[in-house]
Amino acid sequence: MKGVMLMSGGIDSPVSLYYLLRQGHEMIGVHMDNRPFTDDSPLEKVVDHLVLLRERFHQPIPLYVLPHGPTQLTLMRSTDRHVGCVMCRRFMWRSAARIGEREGARFLATGEALGQVASQTLANMRSATVAVDLPIVRPLVGLDKQEIERVAKEIGTYGISTRPGVCCQAVPDKPATRSTILQIQAEESPLDVEAIVDDVVRRAVVM
Amino acid sequence: MTYSTVRLCSGGGSFEAIPSPKLALDLRRAREALETAGVGVIDARVMLIARLEKEVTLARDGRILIKTTDPVVAERILRDLCSRLSLDYGVAATVPPGAVSSGKR
Repeated sequence: MKGVMLMSGGIDSPVSLYYLLRQGHEMIGVHMDNRPFTDDSPLEKVVDHLVLLRERFHQPIPLYVLPHGPTQLTLMRSTDRHVGCVMCRRFMWRSAARIGEREGARFLATGEALGQVASQTLANMRSATVAVDLPIVRPLVGLDKQEIERVAKEIGTYGISTRPGVCCQAVPDKPATRSTILQIQAEESPLDVEAIVDDVVRRAVVM
Repeated sequence: MTYSTVRLCSGGGSFEAIPSPKLALDLRRAREALETAGVGVIDARVMLIARLEKEVTLARDGRILIKTTDPVVAERILRDLCSRLSLDYGVAATVPPGAVSSGKR
């Protein structure tokens, strides 16, 4: 099956992608480029992850790079910072889903594991993902960080993921861990969601 | 204010300057001061991103993130930034000699 993998440059997403490629799925990468709230390193890491996995699985794995910084800026200016991570994720999912529709993908995928960070509590994952219709696959959901790191080292992506980089500066000091869908929808209501996603997808670059 | 702690950020890709004592940075005035000096600034409401020699993020609590892994460059940018802001604010900012360390958190 064809799927779209959200790739951050971190440790988890290339491992998640590895599992899906190993199962024989045809994968497309999507990277949400968060500059200027980070630096060049996440994109460089994603590119290097894909060089490695393309070679290993003899798959082209196209990479869509979508500008996420302007969306992040809109969210920071207009919405409650406590739910910033969930809002951010909703736009990432929507953008990835658009790419998925364009490419005929049947599912979306991430490297999320339950409870690792604020955006990955069950409540927040639900608030984030109701924004899209395509099924979401999380190959790592039952693994702990040590297991994920062990696989990352085995497949050679760990060294790339752990290179120095600027962490996302848009993460609020006290991110909400239990957002509700109603709360998120209320925050989002003043925004022209479709126009934002249209603009992001229109400016996609394929690598 | 004194930036007594300047350290690599948790990702290891930038330097983070922490003011002591804590302060509430007036981002609106900081933006005005920087823009008046011809510095490009992105106003994200809760933070500013200023395009100096390297990109620099200024948070409301006074934390400053400088996107470089070179401690000498980080210190130079921090001094420059503090100088620019103190001219407009009358705030004394100093970086004690040797305060910039490359130890990762």
